[in-house]
Amino acid sequence: MSNRISAILALLIAGAMFVAALLFMQSVHGASSALRAAAPVAVARQVPIDSTRCIASTVYMKSHHMQLLNQWRHDSVRKGNRAHVTSDGRRFDKSLNTCLGCHASNPMFCFMCHEYANVKPTCWNCHISPMEATR
Amino acid sequence: MKKVLMPLAIVLLLCLIPYVAVRYAGQSYLFGVIVPYAAAALFVSGVLFRLFDWLRRPVPFRITTTAGQEKTLDWIPYSRLDSPATPMQAWVRVLLEVFLFRSLFRNNKAELREGPGFTFASSKWLWLGGLAFHWSLLVIGLRHARFFFVELPGFIVPVEVADRFLDLTLPAFYLTDAVVLAAATFLFVRRLRDAKLRIISLPTDYFPLFLIGAIAVAGVLMRYVTKADIMTIKALTMGFSEMSFEPPGDIAPVFYVHLFLVSVLAVYFPFSKLMHMGAIFLSPTRNLCNNSRQKRHVNPWNRAVKFRTYAEYEDDYREKMKKAGLPVEKE
Ligand code: HEC
Ligand code: HEC
Ligand code: HEC
Repeated sequence: MSNRISAILALLIAGAMFVAALLFMQSVHGASSALRAAAPVAVARQVPIDSTRCIASTVYMKSHHMQLLNQWRHDSVRKGNRAHVTSDGRRFDKSLNTCLGCHASNPMFCFMCHEYANVKPTCWNCHISPMEATR
Repeated sequence: MKKVLMPLAIVLLLCLIPYVAVRYAGQSYLFGVIVPYAAAALFVSGVLFRLFDWLRRPVPFRITTTAGQEKTLDWIPYSRLDSPATPMQAWVRVLLEVFLFRSLFRNNKAELREGPGFTFASSKWLWLGGLAFHWSLLVIGLRHARFFFVELPGFIVPVEVADRFLDLTLPAFYLTDAVVLAAATFLFVRRLRDAKLRIISLPTDYFPLFLIGAIAVAGVLMRYVTKADIMTIKALTMGFSEMSFEPPGDIAPVFYVHLFLVSVLAVYFPFSKLMHMGAIFLSPTRNLCNNSRQKRHVNPWNRAVKFRTYAEYEDDYREKMKKAGLPVEKE
């Protein structure tokens, strides 16, 4: 008997948590779209860029590029701030396509390393990959 | 308190040694190559030594721990798992113990309450915490295969994908990283909270917890926060799997802290309570089947004794016994 009661209780709690999670996500979503409407999308100024250097030091890029991408994704999608200024004053659009702009000459650029390190970023499920970009 | 703080201080010191040595003295060859190989050699030989030491002890009798009806007459149902009758059933029980911790599931707690009150209840927290801790460690261990193989072994891929399915952060957040830290914290707090447990806990109970916790923290830092260069690290670890002694490239010191703590764990392992990993398979109370009633087990180191049966005795003394008026079985 008590077993059945606790099962019903557990179901109720699980249901309540589900509804709470839904409401939470709804509210967060609403907040972020309000924010998006408020912040005008800053477009990177188009100036000739020096493509012999990456957007940060090569050593830094080698180990930190995913953190940078994460930051970019957050800034442009959530905050609507799309302009990235490098430490030496160049301006870039915070987009995955920016990387491909310089790195498209080698379609395997991102994959060589990832293959070796056994990492499979999910980004190319949606974003255009360097392989498609050069085709 | 000293028995908690001492192991903590030792672990902190162990973190500091490789950090200082690599960062300020450039000892990356020592901590990146020599120490790991030495630790691996000690680990393997230590574990083999312990296992053979246990294996060569004779186990003459069935000392199975039972928690259910033994196999007797055919029409009495018996408990295959809790009183196994065949070696097969015993091994199923061992494996279930290894993977599900059935004996911890039976854990009880007895407490004196305020006023004249005494409670005796089932306590599942240790079971749950232990399960979370060990399973996360297993998954984390399997995931590290990516550093030692060119291509991940097939069965690890789904484990890895399931572990990162939340798809938070970049590099993707692994669930088990959080679970193992939470579980280690719980197991530590559990020892501190209860007065009875506090008394029976020894420094050697805290030390492995702190050590594993520190290894996990260093790993988490390296993955999500300070970042170390995975390409160079993989070159080093692939070298390990090919037994090469190439010096490591330029890797952040936090990696050497991680690696050194793992080396310490490996060396500490065979000579400590952590050997329960091997012992669980070899403990006679679990891996023997309870068949003393079906099969006679003779102690192999009994001396050979010349037995004399009553029938032989009577054959020798029958006439004398009859004369004395003693009853005999055979006329
Ligand atoms: C302005 C052109 C340019 C852009 C934009 C650019 N890169 Fe680079 N990147 C380079 C160059 C040039 C190098 C090679 C530097 C060197 O060899 O020292 C490089 C090097 C790298 C490296 C190190 C490769 C190695 O073999 O060590 C990584 C990783 C990298 N870039 C990732 C990215 C990512 C991710 C982005 C997008 C966020 C990006 N890059 C955007 C030009 C660019
Ligand atoms: C489920 C599909 C999906 C996946 C997976 C995905 N993205 Fe995106 N991403 C999007 C969409 C859709 C946008 C455009 C949002 C907008 O324009 O408001 C976007 C925008 C971005 C932007 C900024 C704008 C731009 O044009 O690029 C960056 C940076 C970015 N994503 C990075 C990443 C990275 C890095 C990964 C891999 C870890 C990733 N994304 C994975 C769907 C995805
Ligand atoms: C120098 C080799 C190298 C190059 C070039 C490189 N990556 Fe990476 N990338 C790595 C390594 C190593 C990791 C794994 C880091 C970790 O696990 O801490 C990684 C991880 C990532 C991740 C996070 C994956 C995860 O685990 O969730 C993303 C996203 C990513 N890279 C995007 C890119 C993109 C986009 C490019 C091409 C513009 C690129 N990388 C080029 C080496 C490289």
